[in-house]
Amino acid sequence: MRPVDASPASINQASILQALFLPARLRRSPRILPTHSRFPAVSPTPRKILHIDMDAFYASVEQRDDPSLRGKPVVVAWRGARSVVCAASYEARVFGVRSAMPAVRAERLCPQAVFVPPDFTRYKAVSRQVRAIFARHTDLIEPLSLDEAYLDVTVSKSALASATATAEAIRAAIREETNLTASAGVAPNKFLAKIASDWRKPDGLFVIRPHQVEAFLAPLKVGRLPGVGKVMEGKLAAMGVATAADLRAQGLAVLEERFGRWGRRLHELSWGIDEHAVQPDRPTLQVSSEDTFEHDLTLDELEPHIRRLAGKTWAGHQRETGRIARTVVLKLKTADFRTLTRSFSPPTLPGSADELAELACALRARVEHPAGTRYRLVGVGLAGFVDRDDFVPQRDLFETVAPPD
Amino acid sequence: MQFSIQREALLKPLQQVVGVVERRQTLPVLANLLVKVGDGRLSLTGTDLEVEMVATTAAEKTTDGEVTIPARKLFDIVRALPDGVRIDLKLNGDRVAMTAGRSRFTLATLPASEFPTIDEIELVERVSLPEEVLRDLMERTAFAMANQDVRYYLNGMLLDLQEHTLRCVATDGHRLALKETQLESKVAARRQIIIPRKGVNELVGLFETGDGQVELEFGRNHLRVRRGDVVFTSKLIDGRFPDYEAVIPLGADKRATLDREVLRGALQRAAILSNEKYRGVKLELSPGKLRIVAHNPEQEEAVEEVEADTSVSDLAVGFNVGYLLDALAALKGERARLNLRDAQSSCLVQEDDSEQSRHVIMPLRL
Repeated sequence: MRPVDASPASINQASILQALFLPARLRRSPRILPTHSRFPAVSPTPRKILHIDMDAFYASVEQRDDPSLRGKPVVVAWRGARSVVCAASYEARVFGVRSAMPAVRAERLCPQAVFVPPDFTRYKAVSRQVRAIFARHTDLIEPLSLDEAYLDVTVSKSALASATATAEAIRAAIREETNLTASAGVAPNKFLAKIASDWRKPDGLFVIRPHQVEAFLAPLKVGRLPGVGKVMEGKLAAMGVATAADLRAQGLAVLEERFGRWGRRLHELSWGIDEHAVQPDRPTLQVSSEDTFEHDLTLDELEPHIRRLAGKTWAGHQRETGRIARTVVLKLKTADFRTLTRSFSPPTLPGSADELAELACALRARVEHPAGTRYRLVGVGLAGFVDRDDFVPQRDLFETVAPPD
Repeated sequence: MQFSIQREALLKPLQQVVGVVERRQTLPVLANLLVKVGDGRLSLTGTDLEVEMVATTAAEKTTDGEVTIPARKLFDIVRALPDGVRIDLKLNGDRVAMTAGRSRFTLATLPASEFPTIDEIELVERVSLPEEVLRDLMERTAFAMANQDVRYYLNGMLLDLQEHTLRCVATDGHRLALKETQLESKVAARRQIIIPRKGVNELVGLFETGDGQVELEFGRNHLRVRRGDVVFTSKLIDGRFPDYEAVIPLGADKRATLDREVLRGALQRAAILSNEKYRGVKLELSPGKLRIVAHNPEQEEAVEEVEADTSVSDLAVGFNVGYLLDALAALKGERARLNLRDAQSSCLVQEDDSEQSRHVIMPLRL
């Protein structure tokens, strides 16, 4: 058996980063790597990692359960000025609708779309079904959300010959038992498996074998690498780096010089190296979203961004099965790269994205930097998860009384 | 500006005003107290721009004048000086020289002209009542105020003035505390104001026992409370308090009357084995008896039985035991009355023979 890696996860590319605010020392465990600029992409004992991703999950569940929605553009979102799209069916995606985009924008892009409010109880039930299918093949399952998970099938419980066969068996079982489709990626590590599952979406399978890693990555745009967002992409473009091959050409020394430890990670990713283990039952420590700006902003100017990110974080929080977050976290990074976080556990939990935004905005009052300080990054998170079963909700006096306006 | 004063005579007004001064301020002058000498009296003012407290006392060897002095430092020095010592304070240029026995201190100052004060409050109503009564009203409701709630209008206390009645109401959305008193004169129109939490806490800390009278001045955006030696002014929370009367249950006709202290004792014991986070206890009513049951995640259990004057049978409701205890502690009298309806509805806790104190508690979903 492989030793369990102490680091919780790779830096996730998705906008909703779990464990975003983990202290840096936990996020990256020290690893011994060859110091020469070129090292083999094939580790001596290649792992077999699957990334399984349900296709347009919430929207597909809605279409499955309501035949009148089939073949139509379906957008799963709450009604509301600041609501965010939770999922869009492939018919809606044709119009440019994407998840995490403001619902009003989705409505503009695709006025004929059917808007359906999310029903997480149903999605969670399906998610449990899918996880039961995974469990027939391995116990090393790391759910990322209701609709995606990493599986380590290096040693498989089922006697299937290969990881590819396992992935196919899982996809077939999902189709058979839930009437939904999933895409799968098979690769020697988590980040490649995730890229692979996206490669033939929807209802597809893509395999990156160890000896193919270097060639597969070489032409890949750096934006596909986990942790490389728009801002980072811009910086790399300014250095003349557009693809993983360009990154390799820069060499470790240059990248480390320019980006510090993150430079080392970029270097590793460009060679397809990612030692992060699949962590079964890793409890979510935090659901959060963050954004780096083109131009640094003052504390006051952050408000619309905090509101937008609160919407995303709230949507992510809704996906958590059986657990509730009790702490609101505001993360800031100053123009000179000092990171600070402020958190608060309100007596009444936020009940909507707007309330989360209010609490996060209010946390700005606890930032003691001088008034003119500018910030390059802001993040809004929910942490302090407790089991819903442990949570005995206190009824509210005013829940039936109209709030004052 | 100069004056001479005995340590204790200065310490008291200092204590009254220093709490208003925030430890972190937006303006340097807000860390200071405004010190004014005139007509043989010394007045000290502290402010955080929301709450202002002015305390006055007699002083000797006075020369009129005003200046601002660092609040914390002045308070810490005076507090640490020996009992009974005489303190002399004098402004020299932009410094204040303070001597007491064999101690000498020189403190920095800022000009009094920089100090923001609240002068005119656009008075709309004035009521006068005994200090004891106002103290009782506020102390026995303040505990229920919300703290940093997104419903900002709950982070304070409602003073509801109508006809001959003054009511203090506080709620955090889970429970509500109300206490009222009859006024000697009738007010012209109903007034509802919300005093911010900090103002309430400062005011409650100010009250003394005795038979003094206080004046409440309702301004358009301020409340001012005058007592002989102190003037307290607070900005109001600009918001509408929820319709609290609508959540005082009317249909709670399942009553139980109990010995207040016996019930408190039983709840306090049961609380020890309640879930630390939600502090849930179950109240089960049957004729003549209230049963209190608490469980924690370790599956430990507490069961208490209290004699109750009731004919209710088969009613079980969960509550946060802390809310029940707070309410019972805020009541007076020997007997307390619980008014319930069902497991989903709020409970009204009051004195058996009076409507002046009312506490509404929402149940837990057990």
